[in-house]
Amino acid sequence: MERKQHSSLHGSFRSKDSSSTTGSDPREKIKDCLRKFIAFMFTQVGVGALVVCYAILGAAGFMHIEKDNPDEQLENVKQWRKSCAEELWNITVSINIFNESVWEQNINRVLKVFQNNITSAVHTGYNGRSAEDIWSFPAALMYSLSVFTMIGYGNIVPKTVWGKIVTIAYACFGIPIYVLYFCNMGKVLAQSFKWLYITAHECSRREDALFDEGEIQPIKRKITVPSTACLWVISFYILTGTIMFGAWEKWNYLDSTYFCVISLCKIGFGDFVPGANITDSAGGSHLKLVINFIYVLLGMGLVAMCYNLMCEDVRVKVRELREDLKNCLDDITLKITICMNDTKYYHQRQTRHIK
Amino acid sequence: MPRRKRRFASRVRNYLRGFLAFLFSNVGVIVLVVAYTVAGAFMFQAIEGASEIERVHNMTLERNYTAQYLWQNVTLALNLFNETALKHSIGIELNKYQSKIVTAVRNGWDGGRSSRQWSFSSAFLYSLTVITTIGYGHLSPRTSWGKITTIFYALLGMPLFLLYVTNVGQLLARWFKCLYALVCLCRGCPGFTRRRVVRLRTQMEFSEAESIERPEVWRPSASDSDVTPEYRMPPYPIYHHRRADYMRSTSMPQARSARSPRPVRGVSVPPYAVDSGASSDFSYVTFDAQTITVPISVCVAIMVGYILFGSMIFGLWEKWDKLDGAYFCFISLSSIGFGDIVPGERVYTPRIETSFIVCSMYLMLGMALVAMCFNLMQEQVIHYFACLKRALKRMCRCKR
Repeated sequence: MERKQHSSLHGSFRSKDSSSTTGSDPREKIKDCLRKFIAFMFTQVGVGALVVCYAILGAAGFMHIEKDNPDEQLENVKQWRKSCAEELWNITVSINIFNESVWEQNINRVLKVFQNNITSAVHTGYNGRSAEDIWSFPAALMYSLSVFTMIGYGNIVPKTVWGKIVTIAYACFGIPIYVLYFCNMGKVLAQSFKWLYITAHECSRREDALFDEGEIQPIKRKITVPSTACLWVISFYILTGTIMFGAWEKWNYLDSTYFCVISLCKIGFGDFVPGANITDSAGGSHLKLVINFIYVLLGMGLVAMCYNLMCEDVRVKVRELREDLKNCLDDITLKITICMNDTKYYHQRQTRHIK
Repeated sequence: MPRRKRRFASRVRNYLRGFLAFLFSNVGVIVLVVAYTVAGAFMFQAIEGASEIERVHNMTLERNYTAQYLWQNVTLALNLFNETALKHSIGIELNKYQSKIVTAVRNGWDGGRSSRQWSFSSAFLYSLTVITTIGYGHLSPRTSWGKITTIFYALLGMPLFLLYVTNVGQLLARWFKCLYALVCLCRGCPGFTRRRVVRLRTQMEFSEAESIERPEVWRPSASDSDVTPEYRMPPYPIYHHRRADYMRSTSMPQARSARSPRPVRGVSVPPYAVDSGASSDFSYVTFDAQTITVPISVCVAIMVGYILFGSMIFGLWEKWDKLDGAYFCFISLSSIGFGDIVPGERVYTPRIETSFIVCSMYLMLGMALVAMCFNLMQEQVIHYFACLKRALKRMCRCKR
């Protein structure tokens, strides 16, 4: 965060310099263009484009790496099923067919072995789809998003050695870019939201402000967006997501709220992922994945905005609280001393009266 | 009487302040995080444990039902001697059963594990992954109450963990700077310091003092500076005076008060040097561990070392190969957390409990370490930018 601020500060510093010393030389012009390009890269649009480009690049790369991977699990599972059927046949042949209980016992034993095999296969990543089905482009896009936003759904994971190594390298470069995006987006959204809030605030307060402008003017400048407003925005966004995913994925509302919160908090368990249903057809899930991509990326920006605004708000509140506390303490001490003095005076007066 | 009252009030206030400071101090935050995680572990265990047993029971029923079905519909209905037809129908039935198993595992059933899935240690790891936002997903809540609790647990826990990370990261950064200064730069040894002084003096004659200084704007407020003594000095003169008073009262020689014991060296500037601006370049001579910046390469080396260390530990413990271990450590520490490789995931292991605990410890320490490295790197980057900016400024001035 700090780093980015400085870079942008630095950029602005450079651009200011350049504007003061612009010449008509072609070399200067090129330099200026370069400088402007760098400045643009550090703006919101540039960073957003960078993030999207990086995600697409990563998606293509991962798709290329992982798609050729021959899936042993799939073959293994087929083999197990075949051998299981063979064994069942053997049992049926060897055991008397009219002895039902023994037959069932044996069948149960075989089935249990089969079940354990399948379970361990699922634990090591089998989900009934071949690598080509899994690593479609939108899925790879989702995967690269989940890497560099640190969500990590884990519904799709690299299985090859190169996939793992590339993931590590990709995360190393992707996370700083994402953090840049996060900070930038947060700042911009926070500023625009603040502006919106303040204009709305002024509009609603215009009648009061007309009376005594001199007094309200300095107060107005200190308006900070209250954290409840941020919470409203976030909860509204989550509600939108809830309804959207609930309608598409046929999840109930609790599940889709859970999914939205888990995604936006970057926890990402991966037990609910849109388009990851095993029984779902591959074609329909692609659009959902892309929309989920946009939803998560926008949501992250919104979370950053709320974080920014709430930080500011909390800082102001803490300062106010501290001042209040100080005032309160001062008041109390003053009162105590006055009280003591009063009793003293009272005593003195009493003694005087007695005299 | 009023004096006593006020003293009592102030004492209470002091206690309260001390307690609050402790809560926000490093130990307090660590205790708070651990307590929060333990509480979460108990809560999730209570919520999710009950439904887990039910699920296992359901799965057994399902298997029995499949065997029954095979008997009823396949073996009895078909001719026994038609092998291919029988095998075909058995295969279809098994395929159905398999997809049932896969869905069940996806929904959290864990085939015939020796221990319960929501044991205390795994619930502990689960709540840790929630508040660190790693989220492996090898365990996830299945009941609706579990989901609701998870949402609120995360909303409360994440700021807490953030506090922990920043606090402990700062602390570790401070310690590491001391260590780095002592070991790598050898600033502690007197001979080296003397040589350094000479070198710095010669340097200073060539360049104006501004070029070496870092402006205070860039410096984090927590660490004190070496260039502006009035920032750092205030606590120490008071200490010296108090010490001196004490010495005088016990009629000890005055000279001893000058070298008062300090755990961190770096305050060998005598107190009277504070107000004399001319001797401010003296403070270069003295060394304060907090003013140096650790190079980025060292930070990166530490992180890589920690990841390799983790891969070694997990390699020993879980029999993973090196790449898998390193991959797991990286994915965990960067809080991505795919959850495809998780310690204690092998279906039959007696040592699951300990491996979860080891993993939790590794994560807690690792997060703090990563925060430390970021702290140090950030300082270094800021320092570079400040240098660059100053150089640019000077260049511009030179042009004109």
